[in-house]
Amino acid sequence: MAENTDLTAPGIALLGVAAFLLSRRRPSTAVVALPVPVEPPVGRGTAIHAARRLNRAAGTLAASVLADSAVEHYRGSFHNKAMFAPLVTSALSLAVSAHGVADKRPSAHWVRDTVYGVAGLTGLIGTAFHLYNVGKKPGGMSWQNLFYSAPIGAPAALLLSGGVGFLAERVRDNEPGTEPMIGGLPAGRVVAAATGAGILGTVAEAGLLHFRGAYHDPFMFAPVTIPPVAAGLLVSAAYGPASTERRQTRWWLRLTALLGFAGSGFHVYGVARNMGGWRNWRQNVLNGPPIPAPPSFTGLALAGLAALGLLEDHPDD
Amino acid sequence: MASDPFAAPRASDGRAPDVFTRGGWVPMRQYSDDETVDFAVVGTGAGGGPLIAGLAEGGFSVVGFDAGPYFRPLEDFASDEREQEKLYWNDERVVDGANPITMGGKNSGKAVGGSTVHFAMVSLRFRPEWFRSRTLLGYGADWPLDWREMWHYYAKAEKALSISGPVTYPWGPKRPRYPYRPHELNGASELLARGAEAMGMKWSATPLATVSAPHGQSPPCVYRGFCRFGCSTNAKQSQLVTFIPRALRAGAEIRDLAMVGRIEVGPTGLAMGVHFFREGRWRFQRARNVVVAGYAIETPRLLLASATDRFPDGLANSSGLVGKNLMTQSNQAAFGTMEQEVRWYKGPPSLSITEHWNYEDRKDFAGGYCWMAQGPLPVEWATIQTSSRGLWGQALRDEMEKYNHQVGLKMVGEMLPDERNRVTLADDKDQYGLRVARVTYSWGDNDKALINHALDQMQTSLEAVGAKNIFRQENDTNHLAGTARMGNDPRTSVVNADCRSWDIPNLWVCDGSIFPTTGGVNPSLTITSIAMRTAERIRTLAKRGEL
Amino acid sequence: MTDRYPGYDVLSKRWTQSWNEPTRQVIDRRLAIPREPRFFSAEEWRTLCAVCDRIMPQPPDRPPVPLPAFVDQKMADGMLDGYRYAALPPQGDAWRRGLAALDVAARAEHGELFHDLVANQQDGLLRRMQNGELAGPEWGGMPCRLFFEHRVIPDITHAYYAHPVAWNEIGFGGPASPRGYVRLGLDRRDPWEAPREATEGADHGV
Repeated sequence: MAENTDLTAPGIALLGVAAFLLSRRRPSTAVVALPVPVEPPVGRGTAIHAARRLNRAAGTLAASVLADSAVEHYRGSFHNKAMFAPLVTSALSLAVSAHGVADKRPSAHWVRDTVYGVAGLTGLIGTAFHLYNVGKKPGGMSWQNLFYSAPIGAPAALLLSGGVGFLAERVRDNEPGTEPMIGGLPAGRVVAAATGAGILGTVAEAGLLHFRGAYHDPFMFAPVTIPPVAAGLLVSAAYGPASTERRQTRWWLRLTALLGFAGSGFHVYGVARNMGGWRNWRQNVLNGPPIPAPPSFTGLALAGLAALGLLEDHPDD
Repeated sequence: MASDPFAAPRASDGRAPDVFTRGGWVPMRQYSDDETVDFAVVGTGAGGGPLIAGLAEGGFSVVGFDAGPYFRPLEDFASDEREQEKLYWNDERVVDGANPITMGGKNSGKAVGGSTVHFAMVSLRFRPEWFRSRTLLGYGADWPLDWREMWHYYAKAEKALSISGPVTYPWGPKRPRYPYRPHELNGASELLARGAEAMGMKWSATPLATVSAPHGQSPPCVYRGFCRFGCSTNAKQSQLVTFIPRALRAGAEIRDLAMVGRIEVGPTGLAMGVHFFREGRWRFQRARNVVVAGYAIETPRLLLASATDRFPDGLANSSGLVGKNLMTQSNQAAFGTMEQEVRWYKGPPSLSITEHWNYEDRKDFAGGYCWMAQGPLPVEWATIQTSSRGLWGQALRDEMEKYNHQVGLKMVGEMLPDERNRVTLADDKDQYGLRVARVTYSWGDNDKALINHALDQMQTSLEAVGAKNIFRQENDTNHLAGTARMGNDPRTSVVNADCRSWDIPNLWVCDGSIFPTTGGVNPSLTITSIAMRTAERIRTLAKRGEL
Repeated sequence: MTDRYPGYDVLSKRWTQSWNEPTRQVIDRRLAIPREPRFFSAEEWRTLCAVCDRIMPQPPDRPPVPLPAFVDQKMADGMLDGYRYAALPPQGDAWRRGLAALDVAARAEHGELFHDLVANQQDGLLRRMQNGELAGPEWGGMPCRLFFEHRVIPDITHAYYAHPVAWNEIGFGGPASPRGYVRLGLDRRDPWEAPREATEGADHGV
């Protein structure tokens, strides 16, 4: 039996995550090939600082997508070659995000822009493709297929990674010292609104899958209660006065960020709880709760925090 | 190596096996034979299990007897069709009639937990009209139970068994959401769905008693496909891992490897207790009430074998109906081969279902049926090939090699009650020295019409998904019912709506034997629901001083 | 003989998560079944071996699954089916009587004992038994058709398809606990299942 050949996919995923974590700790040793020029230190209050935080958020999302799509598409035996696409694009998104975190120049980089654009597009196409697959199944758009056919929310996370990265570039692409604007609107507000919407979409995905799990553990309610509060506060910040201190919003976002990691922890425990536990990992990692999925919340919460920073540093009212 | 559950009773010395661990124990209260317990319950399956638990939780002293062993699935269950025949009631029974019933794994269990240890977990509700099929549909007999009351107990049973079912069930009156979500469909069940859609019928994920997410000490189902040979992971919510542990916690005693051979009736005409064979000798347990829950063969067998001078035709038999109106369910199937690989051995065998013909009355026969996806393992598949097509030799080998491309649909159909279909005592004796049951069965014209209709429909469905080389399995049956029917009239029934015998007020019957009709769905959930109701009724009667 | 699943061996999963300890013990016992009869006499055994060879012919390029031994074990250990047709005697008696009657029929038709006949002749007699065409005092009132359907066929074919060799032939996943299956859909397989059949020249059964 080919018992050892299928370590590949989880291996790729792990490598991706590890690379990203490394890149975050020591930006000078970033594993990406793009040249990173040395620049003077960047002040906390600048748009570049916010942009880098958004790059980090996009990277976190990309890492989650990379690992999650690796596991899920391995489960799907990569029966369609297109199933490699999210792995490639999310890996690239992860790489350029690391580059963005390290990059302190005040202008968008065309490679990052391109990659984020392609990632977003891949997410969009993936969502459409997954929708098409659900529709093909007997029962069509039924609970049964929403539970078990290609998950609609998963490629959307790639769309979010690309989207947040794209916003990061737009925030960065402003004249130093000026108000960062995106499409003629204050950047903080745009990012906050987009991130809020992203969190709500992710909540819907977690809600669906936890409903599939019958909320058998009370902690399964956490991702459908905490992030919506954070999203609500964030959206209200997007439309509310800018120069207000938003301590509560910040804390809810931090809690959401923490929840992303805690979720993975719970899911590790969930895998252990299935028949055969971790010794039966070839089944339980695939059929048990998805370990790489929850950090999507972390990525979005980081984007939300960056948006809050923008709003506070650049009050537009 | 694990101890042999057949060698000696495990439930003794104040402890019973912990079914969730290897070699583990849980404390168990025990009663001496001389102590008169409130209830002696014979059988621990879909009827006995909930009743033992319900009575113990109501504060009664209860002893549950089972002739089979007390398994710990994790240490005792192999992934093997033949080995797991140890779960079946494989003692001798004589079958005759025009259509003798195949006994054993299809319909009888011999283990603590009864046949729920190896059932296919299909947990369906009766169609409401079936409780009054004589009045409303013109066939069979009316039940003394109201469907609305049953709807209440069905919900309780579904909750107790953590049924994994669809978010909305497409047939019948509204029911609460199943406690757990449906399972993923396998290839065979997807083909049922496609066939049903091609025929313009609704279909659904099957409500199953195996969890789709963790529950207590049960991990979610791993789709190993050996469901009908015992669940070695405890995902299956059999009586063994649900009501029996509850019963122990509430203070009931379970006696495994304890074959009850006779119910003792005293001079007052009341039951005094039960004679049972355990550890090589016959013993007698005194009891204020005796409940027989041995299913449609062993229940009448015990009632008939307990005849006395006062009750020469057997206990509770003034109507003459004990053993009569035996019903099985038609379990015919159509099979074909697909170009695709189906590999139907994966997952519970019946992940999808259509109950279309249970709820559609435009047909020229009485009764209803459903059909479900199938996943026979190799030995059973060989049985189907040989018994349906008469294959052997190289022809059999060649057909068997198409295993991974096979698809099939199997019905569960309603057979009508007929007094000529019955259980009597044969002259042969079994290993306990007890007369074995003789099971006589012949299909009626209505049964045959229903079967033919179903076979045509299933074949059409298979053709619609492109199956080739379609053949029919025309001879199979499963599930049992009848032989001690409930009713409102002592002249035409054995027990009343509370499962209490008309003749002997402290003798009860609580299993599938009390069914006046059998419906077109698997019976276990109905048996469990009635047992839960009976437990509640007994508690109410006791409060009123009417026991 | 097509080998549909070349290289696939259920036994190679013995030490993976697909097999639990009770399964290993059960299959070990099955593979180690004694080949000598405990229940049947030497004459009965010879006839039984010949019957098994025709009901379930086996390819010459591997050791055969010892089917007569499994039938003998079932009789010797009294492993019952849970039911018996009223017209059939208890299982051991049925086999003894049926095998002896088969020899009588063989001698009457071909002048030789059943095991000495050529395959064609053996098949012919078995087919007549299947069709209910054999009778005589040696059957003792036992209908030969019922004996064939409810003793000969199940006792032999069940033994065969309960053997890992047969599972390999038909591509069955075999034992599966604690690890079951992940990929359940049409044309989907887990890496620990039998590979897809060799496509060239393989009859996909359609």
